[in-house]
Amino acid sequence: MSNGQGVVIAKRSISLSKTFLIIGIFLALLSVLISSLSGLIRYVGTAGIPINATSRGLDLGTALPLVSVAIQVFAAILFATPVLLLYVYDKNNGVLEYFLSLGMDQGDIYRQYLKASLILASGVVVLEVAVNFVAGLVVGTDVLRLLEVSSLVFALALPVVSFSTLIMMSFSSLQKQRVGANQPLGMAIGIFMVMPAYIVPLALPSLAIVIDFLLAAVIAVLSLLTYFSSSRLISREKLLP
Amino acid sequence: MRPLLEARGLRKHFPLRGGVLQRTQAWVRAVDDVSFEVAPGETLGIVGESGCGKSTLARLLLRLIEADAGVVRFDGEDLTRSKESRKRINYLSHYNALPEEMTVRSALEFYARIEGGDVDAVISLLSIENLKDKKISDLSQGQKKRISIAKVFLNERDLYLLDEPTSNLDPEVSKEVRDILLRLSKDRIVLYSSHNLYEANDVGTHLILVRDGTIGYFGKISDLESKEYRVGIKTTTDISKMIDAKLGDGGYYVLNVTTPQEAGLALKKLVENGVLVTEMRQLDNPLQELFEDNFSRRHPAKTEPRGES
Repeated sequence: MSNGQGVVIAKRSISLSKTFLIIGIFLALLSVLISSLSGLIRYVGTAGIPINATSRGLDLGTALPLVSVAIQVFAAILFATPVLLLYVYDKNNGVLEYFLSLGMDQGDIYRQYLKASLILASGVVVLEVAVNFVAGLVVGTDVLRLLEVSSLVFALALPVVSFSTLIMMSFSSLQKQRVGANQPLGMAIGIFMVMPAYIVPLALPSLAIVIDFLLAAVIAVLSLLTYFSSSRLISREKLLP
Repeated sequence: MRPLLEARGLRKHFPLRGGVLQRTQAWVRAVDDVSFEVAPGETLGIVGESGCGKSTLARLLLRLIEADAGVVRFDGEDLTRSKESRKRINYLSHYNALPEEMTVRSALEFYARIEGGDVDAVISLLSIENLKDKKISDLSQGQKKRISIAKVFLNERDLYLLDEPTSNLDPEVSKEVRDILLRLSKDRIVLYSSHNLYEANDVGTHLILVRDGTIGYFGKISDLESKEYRVGIKTTTDISKMIDAKLGDGGYYVLNVTTPQEAGLALKKLVENGVLVTEMRQLDNPLQELFEDNFSRRHPAKTEPRGES
């Protein structure tokens, strides 16, 4: 398949379901709002209310942008979900069988659908990072913090989307029923993977950045392992209708 | 002549699983030690009941599923290893394999991006200009099948493997689809699987009869047709003294012949004697007999206990 096939598959996925994209956009906006609250809180702090106003002395100005990272990653997972729908749809209609008949193997096929999910996820990630950055500057969030958050979103979102897409394609291949019932499971896996990114900024704020980057690295390695092993572990006949 | 396609000892057994742990309870012998070869220009009809292993055989030939044993060679190359040889083959499944949300033109462009080919040329070849801007989901089954065929003929290939291409189509559309396929695949090897004996007879020079995953018959259709068969003749007078025919079931005078010419000569003799022949038909078909010999009695389940595969 040519590189353009990933774009075609992405477009086909969007035409199949737009609901996930709408929810994804809603979450992306929510994440921008949460992240921007940090700047507002700082502003309130200068007016006489202490920044560390929580009973445990939590610095919300630092924590909220990091919490928004996990929400932005979830939005990326939602954007990639229609690709899983399309994968099941193509399997049931014999499109995957036809790809195999043209001499492709499981790895070639997985790569194209993975590429499509990364294209869709990257789209929303770029958008939410840009909006978040601009909104952060407007409300006066620290620029360094904004850069950290932006790079964390990229570092975490793409491996998580890759991993959940690969796992769900594998599950869908192994599933006997002709239904695409794996999407909720795919989202659950994605949420589970980024769960530490929700908790760590609140529990261990000083280590949050380091832990989040470590988490991104672990998920990236898991994605690569899944990619290289799935085409060996899942036989060709599992891709047939 | 050197065979272009050769299958040797192909075997595929599927496990039947059951119980909480999904342990293997038995094995289904979908394809069991199948061997045959096809020379250039031959059309091979693969016939058998539903579930007898035709589609599994087709999928094994293309390595859509991995064989437990055996080898498939195409022009001397092992098909399981050579991706280049696979590019000389195309496959039409009974699934249309079309992205239904696309228009006909975009769907063909989608496949042309993968395997190359001229979309405009194939639209013209299949005479589907009137459909090119329609969404595939809006087409009838027959129209979808035409588009599915169009994708297969985006490029010229040396071998076409057509797995039940007319299933779920009404007889008129089936014939149209069959005619298109045979016109476009002329002078190429064609493997045509069908559960319809007469269809295979129409398209094939050779026949493979698959029964319980094994080959019940493999040979030229013309060899079968040269065997003796019965012709029924209805007339208004007794013709038993004019030709060697006896009155049988259904009011037919039954004549045993080995070639169509013999039947023609008998008819000529009757007409010359002033006999009014009201009906003349072949009472049985050697292919039909072959089919019935293989399938009339129910076979025991084609499974074997765990561990014997």
